[in-house]
Amino acid sequence: MSETESVDHKTISGISANSGIAVGNIVCIDNKRRKVLPKSISETEIDFHLKNFKEGRTTLITELSGMLDYLDAQSGSIIETQKQIILDAEVEKRVESLIQDHLFSSDYAVYKTFCDFIERLKESGSELFQQRIVDLENLRDRFIDVICDDKKSFSIEKGTILVTKELSPTELVSLHANGLSGLVMEKGGITSHAALIAQSLEIPCIVSAKNATSKAFNVKGILDGREGILILDPEKEILDKYKIKLEKLKKTQRRLLKNINEPSLTKSGTEFFLSANIEFESELGQLAKYNAKSIGLLRTEGLLFSNKIGFEDQVRFYESVLSATEGSVTFRLFDVGGDKLNAKIPEEANPFLGWRGIRMLLDEKDLLETQLKALLICAGKNKGRVKILIPMVSVEEEIFELKKVIATLQKDLSGSGYKIDKEIALGAMIEVPSAALNAENLARHLDFMSIGTNDLTQYTMAVDRGNEKICSLYQQQHPSLWKLIKITAEASLKTNTEIAVCGELAGNVLGACGLVGLGIRNLSMIPNAIPRIKEELISHDDSELKELAESFLAASNTTQIKEIFEDWRVH
Amino acid sequence: MGNYYNYTHFRTANSLRMIKKKITIKNSSGLHARPSATLVKTASKFSSDFFIHFYGYKVNGKSILGVMTLAAEHGSELELEFDGSDEKEAMKTITELIENKFGLKDE
Repeated sequence: MSETESVDHKTISGISANSGIAVGNIVCIDNKRRKVLPKSISETEIDFHLKNFKEGRTTLITELSGMLDYLDAQSGSIIETQKQIILDAEVEKRVESLIQDHLFSSDYAVYKTFCDFIERLKESGSELFQQRIVDLENLRDRFIDVICDDKKSFSIEKGTILVTKELSPTELVSLHANGLSGLVMEKGGITSHAALIAQSLEIPCIVSAKNATSKAFNVKGILDGREGILILDPEKEILDKYKIKLEKLKKTQRRLLKNINEPSLTKSGTEFFLSANIEFESELGQLAKYNAKSIGLLRTEGLLFSNKIGFEDQVRFYESVLSATEGSVTFRLFDVGGDKLNAKIPEEANPFLGWRGIRMLLDEKDLLETQLKALLICAGKNKGRVKILIPMVSVEEEIFELKKVIATLQKDLSGSGYKIDKEIALGAMIEVPSAALNAENLARHLDFMSIGTNDLTQYTMAVDRGNEKICSLYQQQHPSLWKLIKITAEASLKTNTEIAVCGELAGNVLGACGLVGLGIRNLSMIPNAIPRIKEELISHDDSELKELAESFLAASNTTQIKEIFEDWRVH
Repeated sequence: MGNYYNYTHFRTANSLRMIKKKITIKNSSGLHARPSATLVKTASKFSSDFFIHFYGYKVNGKSILGVMTLAAEHGSELELEFDGSDEKEAMKTITELIENKFGLKDE
């Protein structure tokens, strides 16, 4: 990066969360304190402004509730307090009085009301309470944005590079629809939800860019996702250099895309299958673009987060997914912790070792049965195409119990005249070390197994991927992971059970080569990784891939594995 | 403890009875956002009006912003005022809540 050192004052750096280059105008949401001037209204406008205030309040509450779904319990309680502030009886009384009795516009009425409270808090002089002022100011400004229908933070021009403190997944999805070309966030790690979605939407993205919002301003910029830098107001030479890079990138993309329609065969002629990981309906268009024949992992948690867990909502979503592809769709049952279900459920000391996935589903029978019923009915209409995947299996009894629930539901549905798929495929996520080590026994009761390398890494390395202090220990390519994968692959061979990998390892060139080398032919990944993976796999023969996997298993650390791969690839 | 308790019953101009009580904030970080949220949530379950008097201010005890802006720290003496059909029950519940430091583990 020495070439950028001379323009350091114009460069914002962070951690690369998604590669790619974006050249466009920078929009910086810098949370500048707002000032609203008093505006008078006429008596005939009173009703309009009262309504405006109430509608703004509803919008804000919906927005906050949506955020709640992506937060842990502690941050959640902060949002709950914010909701309480928005619905504050005193705020309502004062705002309404300012509109009705003093004929002020709704935005000023809200501004004035909050400012009065903030002023009082400032006067109190208490250290502790000073910290709350920033929160209140942010809340006030967002409230006014909403009232003024000021969508400037949500509607952007095509090609915009957004610099912000943080962004919710839903905001990112809607910004993408408006043509967002790049994202720089002050907060978040490379595995934060927004970063994962940026990868899936193919938006170059930098995270952990310290003080980015105070450094950036609204000029033209270049976002280099791979290097993790945003260059502000670039000089012509740099701009030209990047334009060439961008052109090259597009060329490579075109070449890769051409490969997409070629058969998926290794040099030795062994067929492999690359399918897509999908979470949102907005991603379905990518299936055709990358010629993904099936969906190897459909995450259903989005339904929970948007509170669409009613039977009809689920059926509608599942049908829409099924109609987007001709191949099979692997539906993973709700994979969340219990705290996501109900704010009343107390925070667990170790949520990742807690009441989540199948452990939670078997206790929450209504939730489980509604989801299964929706899936079983869709399966009846699309025979052979619906596969059910159980999250977080750690012991075989969980599979037995779930099978019982499915059998009862199938019988009931069949009795009520629904078509059912008696052969519906049932699989388990292999993401807990106990499941990998015991895979042979689990496999005897399953139609398929899907290795979730993200969580398997977390549980094997005993590392929370979200913890910045230790995230360097989060190594998906570590030899211990390859050993667990090998055990699972052997179990699949021995029991003649289908096996797939749906974690990030599958969408990584090194990972994909090693996995195919271990005999795993089904890889599911974010759709935009498919061209890259395909290009790599079709250029090697089986014995080379097998040899690579064997050297991975013989390695003693991740650095060695990376070196082995680089050497192997050059040959 | 008895010193902090001072029940006052009297009649207002329009003959509605209200009750008042003095109480001291006991949790070390005072009435910050979370205790305020709990206090307001609890108070809102009752139909009675609830006001807090502190340093010449009178705020609506069912308003989280009102309660927060009191900036009542550890040791602050508040006067609680309840007025309505379930005022006694409300006073008992709110008093217990403050006595129990809002159920928060004290830092």
